[in-house]
Amino acid sequence: MNGLVLGGTYALLGIGLTLIFGLMNVVNFAHGEFYTLGAYAAFATLAGLGGGFVAAVLGAIVCGALLGGLTERVLLRPLRGESIDTTMLVMIGVWIAMQNAELLVWGGVAKSIPHPFPTEPLVLGPVAIAPLRLFVMALAAGLIAASYLLIHRTKLGRAMRATFQDAETAALMGVKIARIHTVTFAFGSGLAAAAGALLGPVFLAYPSMGDLAALKAFSVVILGGLGNLPGATLGGLLLGIAEELGAGYVSSGYRDAVGFVIIIVVLLFRPSGLFARQERIG
Amino acid sequence: MSAPDGPALLTLEDVHAAYGPVAALAGLDLAVRPGELVCLIGANGAGKSSTLRAISGLLRAGRGRIVFDGREIGGLEPAEILRAGIAHCPEGRRVFPHLTVDENLAMGAYVRRDRRAVTDDLERVCEHFPILAERRRQMAGTLSGGEQQMLAIARALMARPRLMLFDEPSLGLAPTVVETTFGIIADIRRRGTTVLMVEQNAYLALRMADRGYVMETGRIVLEGPAAELLANDHVRRAYLGG
Ligand SMILES: Nc1ncnc2c1ncn2[C@@H]1O[C@H](COP(=O)(O)OP(=O)(O)OP(=O)(O)O)[C@@H](O)[C@H]1O
Ligand SMILES: [Mg+2]
Repeated sequence: MNGLVLGGTYALLGIGLTLIFGLMNVVNFAHGEFYTLGAYAAFATLAGLGGGFVAAVLGAIVCGALLGGLTERVLLRPLRGESIDTTMLVMIGVWIAMQNAELLVWGGVAKSIPHPFPTEPLVLGPVAIAPLRLFVMALAAGLIAASYLLIHRTKLGRAMRATFQDAETAALMGVKIARIHTVTFAFGSGLAAAAGALLGPVFLAYPSMGDLAALKAFSVVILGGLGNLPGATLGGLLLGIAEELGAGYVSSGYRDAVGFVIIIVVLLFRPSGLFARQERIG
Repeated sequence: MSAPDGPALLTLEDVHAAYGPVAALAGLDLAVRPGELVCLIGANGAGKSSTLRAISGLLRAGRGRIVFDGREIGGLEPAEILRAGIAHCPEGRRVFPHLTVDENLAMGAYVRRDRRAVTDDLERVCEHFPILAERRRQMAGTLSGGEQQMLAIARALMARPRLMLFDEPSLGLAPTVVETTFGIIADIRRRGTTVLMVEQNAYLALRMADRGYVMETGRIVLEGPAAELLANDHVRRAYLGG
């Protein structure tokens, strides 16, 4: 059960990262910082403004998407056509800058994010789960479903998929590629922020929390195959469950190691990802 | 077929364009009048595709003028050029392989806002191309080459263009499918859409066209009524294999 809680948020992180990579060919090292941003946005909403949990998650998505869109528009758009190394370096710069900004604003002390749920676990037959975690799981599932609807059922999503498959021909159809890039980056960053807002109250919020999250996101993307949306979803769930099992059966100290063992095994035997198919982004 | 007279729908004047240091167009002049079917022939690398790409805004012209329907379109975004009424059916078909047939057709109408008319057009196009109608939910990448060509043409039609650019529509297709494709292009023109077509198969193209242009290294070296070009010695030797 806890595996699914983690897995759902890992999937959100992974979907965001894989979209950005698949569509824009940008390795987004700052992805984890949008996760951190989301956690602090949730903290501000819940502790500062006294809003509800859903409002906190929505607020985090809006913050993440706005800052993500701005980052793309200001830093990445002028670099379109540059090599993947150049944009990677820029994103490493953004990572460092954002993390220090967070340190400056919020201080280095970890914050516990208040949430409105009772701490008594709910007992459903053989499983007991904290109401907060149940809620996190439900919201993560809802956001994953919303992402799929956006990508597969809207005109914007169709244009995103077309751009991914053949950007030049998409331009010929009248798609403004630059705008698609901005929207994709905003969308991916919004999802990362949502993940931060969801997991923040489960754990703690601190400025470097995004580093581990970014590692998890990269693991999920590698598991699922670059640019593969269902792959990222399944990869996220798988990683969450594997970590939980590893922590339960081996030792909780090895929680984070479990994921990386899986990655190494996957890379050795299925280098293009567990769920590699022809189709990507979609 | 005779060429209609009157002012040109599309004019290119002294157009230059390059890919970085590689010059592709070097002073190109060309005109297409309303209702005409004009074909552009030339050897590999002559700049035929680049000409069409410059018209549809994919390749920015560094110098010269491109005028469509009295309006300068050089330097506009592809989206605006499409909205002005020029659709480009690219070389190699370029259907979106992991979108369904329906989604590909919807992409053709991406710039249109008249939703109801788009839905009507979708039905009409499917009536017109029964092969596509049977495969609307199928991924375009699973279609045969001929079917993909039909889809590429139908997708371009979804924009309701006044001028259609075709880049080597016969490329890689079986002879019977080539015939079907050319039949469809003739039909499109008969219904009032002006056509500018690039073709390797110079004989078939010139037989169908009103006028033709011959291109070499980025400029026009010969032009005239299609029948005259078919009879021209240089054209016969260089492009008709006789
Ligand atoms: N993307 C590109 N980058 C660099 N050079 C290019 C590119 N596309 C075309 N060229 C060059 O521009 C010139 C014109 O190419 P273009 O594709 O327009 O020729 P074409 O007449 O369509 O040839 P083909 O019959 O082979 O399709 C050629 O010298 C070609 O090498
Ligand atoms: Mg060509």
